[in-house]
Amino acid sequence: MKISEENKGTAKVIRLSGKVISGPDLMEVKTAFESAVNNDFRRILVDLGSVSWMDSSGLGVLVSGHTTVSRAGGRMVILNATKKIHELFIITKLITVFDTFNDETEALAALEG
Amino acid sequence: MLKGIRLSVPSDERMLETVQVFVESVGMAGGVLPDELTSLSIAVMELVRNGMKHGNRMNPAKPLTVTVDVLPGRVSFQIEDTGSWQPDRDLGHRPGEGNELLDDRGRGILIARNLAKWVEFDLTPEGKTRATLIWPLT
Repeated sequence: MKISEENKGTAKVIRLSGKVISGPDLMEVKTAFESAVNNDFRRILVDLGSVSWMDSSGLGVLVSGHTTVSRAGGRMVILNATKKIHELFIITKLITVFDTFNDETEALAALEG
Repeated sequence: MLKGIRLSVPSDERMLETVQVFVESVGMAGGVLPDELTSLSIAVMELVRNGMKHGNRMNPAKPLTVTVDVLPGRVSFQIEDTGSWQPDRDLGHRPGEGNELLDDRGRGILIARNLAKWVEFDLTPEGKTRATLIWPLT
């Protein structure tokens, strides 16, 4: 798994790629959410467009990130969830928790709203 | 028919990718459609990780075994750990319901059951936990 970060105005974009699965790499993702909030970012966009594989632990880290951001009074949205990941969101009912977008501009606008 | 194809690995998360390659290779050889292989491997891997974690307590000295049988119209995966736990009892909470929707763990069996449609748990004659996942061939 790889993780990269980019600042877009007042929003933090966290891009994940590869396999987001159980293992030490996931701690990096958790830390990225905490670090963003600690650095006063309250608008977080998580880009999953290059994620090839995600398991329940990967979902758990997204939930944890959502909770971290929400508790700080912010908002997190998901960008480019693949068909398989979207299916996992539906199975686990997380589709009712995560706002998902396929267009970055639209996602960033939603975060501003 | 391919029967009794077996992989045994230490209970170590670093082995998960090895198991994934095994599951997808055997699934492909058994006739699982290419665009179903990811869902199949996600489902099996959830059960494998549960066995490593809850059955074997992530003890590398304790093996996790996956046995595959390609049968008419289906592929059967049996995942055996060395514990005697009962997933439906021991993992009783149901994330996805009520306040547990935002629990950051415990979705593995839910995902496996939804992707594979057929997942059962029982004990082997030796009293060890065994998960069976049936993947239909279309």
